[in-house]
Amino acid sequence: MTDPDDPGVTDPGRVTIHRLNRVEYNNTVRDLLGTALSPADDFPADDIGHGFDNNADVLSLSPLQLELYERAAEVLIEDTLAIPRAAPDVLQFEAEEMTASVGASYRDQGWNLWSNGTLETIFTADDGEYRLSARAFGHQAGDEPAQMAINLDGRVLAVIDVEATEGAPAVYSVEAEVEAGEHVFSVEFINDFYLPEEDADRNLIVDWMRIEGPLNLPPADTTRRDRVLTCAPEAGAEEVCARAVVQGFARRAWRRPVTDAEVDQLMPLFQLGMEESADFEEAIRLPLQAVLLSPNFVFRVELDPDPNAESAHALSDHELATRLSYFMWSSMPDDELMTLADEGRLNTDEELRRQVSRMLADPRSRALVENFAGQWLYTRAMEDVQPDYNVFPEFDDELREAMRLETELFFEEFLYTDRSVEEMLTARFSYINDRLARHYGMDARPGDGFERVELTGPRHGLLGQGSVLTVTSYPTRTSPVKRGKWILTQLLCTEPEAPPPGVEGLAEPEMPTGTLRERLEQHRADPICASCHDSMDPLGFGLENFDAVGAYRLQDIHGFDIDASGELPDGSSFTDASGMASIIAEDPNFARCVTWQMYTYALGRGIEGVDTLHLRAIRAAFEDGDHTLHALIEAIVLSPSFRMRRGETPDEQPAPTEEGP
Amino acid sequence: MSRWRLSRRAFLGGAGAAIALPFLEAMLPTRALADAAEVPRRFLAFYVPNGIHMPAWTPNEAGRDFGLTPILEPLANVRDHINVISGLANRPARPDGAGDHAAGTSSFLTAAHAFKTEGANISVGVSMDQIAAAAVGGATRFPSLQLGIEGGGNAGGCDSGYSCAYSRNISWASESTPLPKIVSPQLAFDRLFQGFDAQASAAERAKRKRYRTSVLDYARADAQRLKTRLGQTDRRKLDEYMTGVRELEVQVQQAEDGPSCGVPDRPEADFDFPAHVEMMNELMVLAFQCDLTRIITFMLGNAGSGRSYGFLGVPGAHHEISHHQNNPDNFARLQTIDTWEVAQLAYLLERMANTPEGEGSMLDNTLVFFSSEIEDGNSHSHFNLPIVLAGGGGGVIETGRHLVYEEDEPIANLFVSILQNLNVPATSFGDSTGPLAGL
Repeated sequence: MTDPDDPGVTDPGRVTIHRLNRVEYNNTVRDLLGTALSPADDFPADDIGHGFDNNADVLSLSPLQLELYERAAEVLIEDTLAIPRAAPDVLQFEAEEMTASVGASYRDQGWNLWSNGTLETIFTADDGEYRLSARAFGHQAGDEPAQMAINLDGRVLAVIDVEATEGAPAVYSVEAEVEAGEHVFSVEFINDFYLPEEDADRNLIVDWMRIEGPLNLPPADTTRRDRVLTCAPEAGAEEVCARAVVQGFARRAWRRPVTDAEVDQLMPLFQLGMEESADFEEAIRLPLQAVLLSPNFVFRVELDPDPNAESAHALSDHELATRLSYFMWSSMPDDELMTLADEGRLNTDEELRRQVSRMLADPRSRALVENFAGQWLYTRAMEDVQPDYNVFPEFDDELREAMRLETELFFEEFLYTDRSVEEMLTARFSYINDRLARHYGMDARPGDGFERVELTGPRHGLLGQGSVLTVTSYPTRTSPVKRGKWILTQLLCTEPEAPPPGVEGLAEPEMPTGTLRERLEQHRADPICASCHDSMDPLGFGLENFDAVGAYRLQDIHGFDIDASGELPDGSSFTDASGMASIIAEDPNFARCVTWQMYTYALGRGIEGVDTLHLRAIRAAFEDGDHTLHALIEAIVLSPSFRMRRGETPDEQPAPTEEGP
Repeated sequence: MSRWRLSRRAFLGGAGAAIALPFLEAMLPTRALADAAEVPRRFLAFYVPNGIHMPAWTPNEAGRDFGLTPILEPLANVRDHINVISGLANRPARPDGAGDHAAGTSSFLTAAHAFKTEGANISVGVSMDQIAAAAVGGATRFPSLQLGIEGGGNAGGCDSGYSCAYSRNISWASESTPLPKIVSPQLAFDRLFQGFDAQASAAERAKRKRYRTSVLDYARADAQRLKTRLGQTDRRKLDEYMTGVRELEVQVQQAEDGPSCGVPDRPEADFDFPAHVEMMNELMVLAFQCDLTRIITFMLGNAGSGRSYGFLGVPGAHHEISHHQNNPDNFARLQTIDTWEVAQLAYLLERMANTPEGEGSMLDNTLVFFSSEIEDGNSHSHFNLPIVLAGGGGGVIETGRHLVYEEDEPIANLFVSILQNLNVPATSFGDSTGPLAGL
């Protein structure tokens, strides 16, 4: 590998200052604040460049985005600093203060419900269990004690025999699940009894009513708050603590050490808050919000000694830690990366190899599945596909989810084990749940969960998976052209030219007189069409045994037998999807294409002419590493284009040229 | 299915009029619109994707006595408040090679030619709504609003080598800066009413304003410091950031001067597509009624939308069907979809027509431009675009006509006329040759 301390050997290319995309923003605030909020869900959709939504060149920043940053900063800091409730609220009211339907106050001992009637109050609850109590006693008469109903919103929760008597009132309680909102709590005297001739008069006297809840609160967890508020302010010297809090928070949020001067620039916000409110809690929020609104947070900033010079130089260790964490986790560096960067120990081959292994083993590396594979293999597009329900009534959200998960779990096996990527196309295993097994017509019957199963049927690797087959189809039918184009662009990186202007898709006659293949072959008779369709269509036809939602079939929807054989422009031929998959797996363009895709994603920029040398070295290392994804990721991270950067001469025109196939 | 209507609580309308009256008073803007001289003029663009099935759209007769065709039939109640316009062309919308949907959408309000790229160097033109916003937007809290239904796909490119920016946006602040739209009704609602905390005292509002202003001042200074250390490409990104700070500062100044009208209920989060469109229609009426903005653009879908209209009994995806291949089944499907789209426009126009304002209605003081990125989904033509221009533009524009232009007059001429109606001193725009004669 190139010596990063020896600039000028090679041009690392140039990465534009990188705005966090929506996924990165959400993951970053999750790791920075421990929040469950995902404010970026509301941000405008990120543009896609060179196949990925982490392309720095096309990640623009609109006024709306800025406005939503401001809002998110306020909400996030509020969420982080809020003190969780540790004890239930207790509200207690003297009965004399309640709304009574009958009776009068009784000798300073409460309210006398002297005939059937209620005492009630309204309270506001959160979700949870509440205890409703009343202290009461009865003027007993007749052959049963006074009875009190405890009601919630007019519904009787309990009927209680109030055996207590004057001078010795008792507390009677009932507990109930309550939903958030306003509720009516009432106690009701229900068995009035009065025989004046015997001087027998049963009454219910209520002293007070009490509402406690929510009960069973978990112990107050202030971990998240304490991580930011690292000190307790001393009266009169609040600024000492505020400085420490701001400095510590900005360091993590900006992914690098923060200078005293930078803290000085933030402190006037704290001072303003103190002048306005004299409240540390209120005042500290302002500089913390400013840290999250700052361009140092919303952009991944990398600096050049001379931003107008093209001489290459090594990234700072903190910049490198940030590139690593956003590549592998789509999020901020963790403490270990920050410590290594602080100590200047990150930028060696040995340490980077160790970090790649460690970060892959961390659950956050699932970001590579969702964001890299999600866009490379289009599993993310499963959210958007709309197979027509008249044609495919069996397609539902459960199947949609199962298809996506199959491909994700399949990709994970390549990410986390030493399996060669060529096997992605020829694999005789997959991850199947019961719903998919039924859809695929398989004998195996896994339970509800996903199981790794050996395949025996017609499905081989990725191209036999429902997700790929569905996202490359029209709602009502398959599209051999779309499937062929997908294989060329996503798996082989040999994008066909766009069709010339005025060219139309394929007519769908009401009564077809031939197979889709026969109709498509007509337009391939035109040499202009044939120049591209000769490479696209045979690949797509190789998958015709799978319908537009990936179910296996021998005949098309019009009843014609399917011929899945084909011949590629290089003369190789196949009889079905498995034969075709083997040809693609052996095509050197496949491993090259995986390299390009991962490299584009890792750097967040399109491939340029300067990358030819870097890619050659990476491909060699990928091959030496038996084409495992781990080897590929490591080779990219060790590459000078990942570890170095340069400025640009002003008015340089961007002239991207792709490495030739 | 959610059915959220501001009208039930907040607006006067239909059978609920008597009950709604007290709420109506709450809704009235405090900045008086009662004085007819101050009634603002407004503009709203209503974009629908994939063209229109023209044989069932274009009226047979020109002039005042035109009959409503099947697709235009939902506009029956507001027929006298609209002009149907035939024969206008958007020549700059023609793409380089494939990509009519993206190119047509990016030139929908710009009448400019999009540079074909998926990379950094996107470029088209300033859209006419933004010319208007720059001229009249200062009077309201939001110079303009961008609303829509579809955010963006999760994988893959958008259209034949054109950046997704071209497919998802019709408002362009500069030739390289699209203004993304809000698709969440809750977010749109929160944004319109942010700071309208009825519980807060004037002192609390003033304090909050000082806080926000100070944090924004810091952000601007921080961006300025950072910018001096960056190369030119990165400085452009920081410029975008600073533009955002500047615009938000203006908004903060206006936002917390006090509520400008009452706050209706927040829309619910659970909705299907038709309810989503209805909520957005309601929010647009609300934004105008409270004078929060005078310029709105709305996208019913993104360029070449593949939405399924199964709820109308239409199989397949809109884009796929729009490549109709002259198949009569597809014609029928397109007519069903297009008629539904026009019904959404009709809903909006009727709500505006039923909102009294000055001597007349909100619709009298507004111009609503309805069209698509192409004429027809099969030919992808950018000529003879399907256009409805609704509203009186302050009583200046004569309505109730079908205007037919024979010579493929530039649609940019219509944009010049609209800008002039908004009192923007524009004489040319895009490939215009002047205002639209006969409007």
